[in-house]
Amino acid sequence: MTDRRRINGPPSGTRPAVFASSLKSASSISTARPRRQRQPDELRKIFLKTGLIPSASGSAYLEFEPSASLAAARSSPQSLIPPSSALKLACTVHGPKPLPRSASFSPNIVLTTHVKYAPFAARQRKGHIRDASERDLGVHLETALRGVIVAERWPKSGLDITITILEAEDDRWWGDAPDSHDAPWGMMNVLAGCITAASAAIADARIDCLDLVAGGVAAIVSDETPDGEPSTPKLMLDTDPAEHKSILSACVVAYMPSRDEITELWLKGDHSKSSLGTTDQNLSHESLIDGAVNAARGAHTVLAEAVKESAERFAGLPTGGSTV
Amino acid sequence: MASAAPSVPPSLTLPPSQFARLQPHAYLLAHLSPPASSNQPSIRANGRATSQFRVTSANTGSLTHTNGSAVVRVGDTTAVCGVRAEILPTDDIASWSVSHSSSSMNKRRKLTNPAQKPTQEEEDPEDETHIQQLNLLVPNLSLSTGCAPGFIPGAPPSALAQSLSHQILNLLHSTRLVRAEDLRIWYQPPSLGQEDLERHNESEQMDVDAERGEEVGKDKEIKAFWVLYIDIMIISLAGNPFDAAWAAVLAALRDTKLPRAWWDVDNEMVVCSDAVSESRKLSLRGLPVASSFCVFEADAAAGWRAVIIPDAEEEREIEESARKGIQRRWILADPDGYEEGLTQERVCIVVDKEEGTGKTVIVKMEKNGGWAVDGKELKALVDISAQRWGEVKHILEQC
Amino acid sequence: MVGPAATLTPLARADGSASYQCPSTGSNILGSVNAPVELPGRRDALKPEEATVEVFVKPGTAPAGVGERYVEGIIKGVLGRLILGRERGYPRRGVVVTLATVGGDSVGRGDSYLTLLPALLHTALLALLSASVPLSMTFSATVLAVSDSGEIIREPSTEQAAAAKSLHVLAFSSKGHLLLNESQGAFDFETWEKVHQRALAICHGTSAIGSDGDVAMVEDVDGQPLEGTIRETIEDQVHRDYAWKIDAV
Repeated sequence: MTDRRRINGPPSGTRPAVFASSLKSASSISTARPRRQRQPDELRKIFLKTGLIPSASGSAYLEFEPSASLAAARSSPQSLIPPSSALKLACTVHGPKPLPRSASFSPNIVLTTHVKYAPFAARQRKGHIRDASERDLGVHLETALRGVIVAERWPKSGLDITITILEAEDDRWWGDAPDSHDAPWGMMNVLAGCITAASAAIADARIDCLDLVAGGVAAIVSDETPDGEPSTPKLMLDTDPAEHKSILSACVVAYMPSRDEITELWLKGDHSKSSLGTTDQNLSHESLIDGAVNAARGAHTVLAEAVKESAERFAGLPTGGSTV
Repeated sequence: MASAAPSVPPSLTLPPSQFARLQPHAYLLAHLSPPASSNQPSIRANGRATSQFRVTSANTGSLTHTNGSAVVRVGDTTAVCGVRAEILPTDDIASWSVSHSSSSMNKRRKLTNPAQKPTQEEEDPEDETHIQQLNLLVPNLSLSTGCAPGFIPGAPPSALAQSLSHQILNLLHSTRLVRAEDLRIWYQPPSLGQEDLERHNESEQMDVDAERGEEVGKDKEIKAFWVLYIDIMIISLAGNPFDAAWAAVLAALRDTKLPRAWWDVDNEMVVCSDAVSESRKLSLRGLPVASSFCVFEADAAAGWRAVIIPDAEEEREIEESARKGIQRRWILADPDGYEEGLTQERVCIVVDKEEGTGKTVIVKMEKNGGWAVDGKELKALVDISAQRWGEVKHILEQC
Repeated sequence: MVGPAATLTPLARADGSASYQCPSTGSNILGSVNAPVELPGRRDALKPEEATVEVFVKPGTAPAGVGERYVEGIIKGVLGRLILGRERGYPRRGVVVTLATVGGDSVGRGDSYLTLLPALLHTALLALLSASVPLSMTFSATVLAVSDSGEIIREPSTEQAAAAKSLHVLAFSSKGHLLLNESQGAFDFETWEKVHQRALAICHGTSAIGSDGDVAMVEDVDGQPLEGTIRETIEDQVHRDYAWKIDAV
């Protein structure tokens, strides 16, 4: 299918590179699966910076700390296949601005969210046109933010939030067969990152909010023991899907700590079967949501720091800085 | 910066930032031609001298899922470029068998061309045709990233994005930056027994007369090509997207590593090795660097009347008066978004330097949208671009 | 050397139109201009004190792609400074120029439009004149190729352009300014200066502006200057249009 507004590749299409090592039997490479080096309740570090895009009213750039395996692969590259990936995204906020002429009257601010992966963001090349999962992320993000913004303060106005994902989380480890994880778990981490970054960008645009909303992910995972047996399911915070053999269920929340409210909750998967025999209270849905909230609390501390920096920059602007 | 806006009367209490928004043209003009009494130097509103470029930085290899990537910041304009290599098997190319047999003909025709340049070693005449005919380079630039207000995210690429994509592809082709040899995946069939080989040769000589001229690597055949998807995301746009985008493409291609690939007879497909030690970098031809300029005119918005244009003779008189201190036109290097909005005439020069001699070679020179820049000005701009080439080379070599 | 052939107002319904054939590059362009027209869909983009210039380029056989957007930008840049968009009736309205390639080679993916560009520019100019759009000046443009041996070829064919070391399109205003320069391929500044000299001679002839302000047309190796060809085309048309008046006298 040719796109007249873009430069097209060969008409017959191309195939992604197939590595010889991935053609070998799975057993020979299973040792290479990255292992989680963090404690179950330990989060990855988040790098969050606001105001990098001066032409926007507010902006934020978010990056997750690379996992231990990825950091090792970076410092001493051996294989061209990256063991896992680390989220990188940029978020811009344009507005509040007048609604287009064609739009009908709205007493509240009209929020538009737009999430797009860069073509090189994931292991598989992404298309230029938004696909279903990107639209889905946009809708989830909108729900998460709508409950935070004081919308009636800007009647007849629009607010555009655009997120460009430069590097996404993996949905599964690359060595696993494509169907071994049924769900795109990486999307949940991406959503959590989107919520945190968008929150920082909205604050940077100085839009009135009830609180700083932060995103967090928790999952119930069942890992392999060294002798190949599935271990008992465990609750982990901020899971990297590449590090786990099977994720039973996962939950992402958008959480406002000072009000103790959740504006968005997305729970996926079924861990009821595995928790049937156990009496472990840690494997209920409540504990999963609590785990996600705890992860969001962790992200909130980073968020608060970034927003404070943004506020200091704004306060310092009249005395120094550029005029344009 | 407040002190640098001398045209604001003291009675008017308007902060410079608001004056800049209300009267952008007058604001920039006041900076560029301060009254003689103020002893202020002529300087742009952003604090740069007219031929000064913004601070540029580059960073490569930070994106995990790319074969090569780069982030280039030119002032507040940020371009991220990722290069992804995918495989195009020759079996998938509809016209391959036809074009391949005719390629040897092409070669002969081209070789009769008397003026083969001696400076470029091992010139491959098929280079351009393969890269261009098979669409092996696929650059696309995206502005729908929220990089500036006015670009609606999710909408199809704007005319600006399309024309920038085209310019990048055109420049990749015309500079022949990427060598087609780097993109070819060859297959050398295992050598047959002596008898078989002879018979094989005989039959081939009977069948394919046209290939008689090629004596080396007769059995070697191209099984596939690498296709480079070069995607550029302008994350932040504050003027001059082309320079930043091109620098990002250049840095990303310099960073690009292609895995060793071979034809696997058993699986009938191209297979790659994931060992970093076996991968190789692209060997690029030269290092073309882009520099953009715009021309700010004092009388551009001189009112509602029709602009009366002096002809070339009068133009020279204006130049005379310019030497007496009344300057009416300023050529601004690396314009930011504010300056781009106030100017119409644009110049873009891409230069490279020959290795060894250090001679400046112009690869592309565009000027459009006005008549202030003529031969003399272009010559000066080429010199500035050559200087900029050195700066950018230094930046790219450090990352 | 066979000069270009042009016809004014071949289309009845457009405000102005022109068709233009350049035998050496093999291009054949049909252009139409509608001006001033209301652009209701673009009310937000209209400038308050000026006309908005829109250019559309349609290739002959293929649907328009990214290359066309790029050429449209170039042509818009040239025409934008030429059209007196502040004249009465023009502000907040549009000047819509449509250029269609009727014959000749089509331009491939990522290829430059340089060989076609002078023909497109001339067609646009003649169509604007045919539509009586106020212009500050006219112009003429040419394309030159520099071969491997350093020889300058005027208006190269597609094959010559493909084999050339560098390709240059230059446009000069009727008052002698360099309006447009598009050069690609490796060259040095001395080469460009030679190209510039030659292009100026092609467009304006070798002699400079006469004492009475009129451009003196001098035939030289390049035949009649392009400026003169365009002028004659217009003069012929005006002569035909006002035949009734002239005959009456």
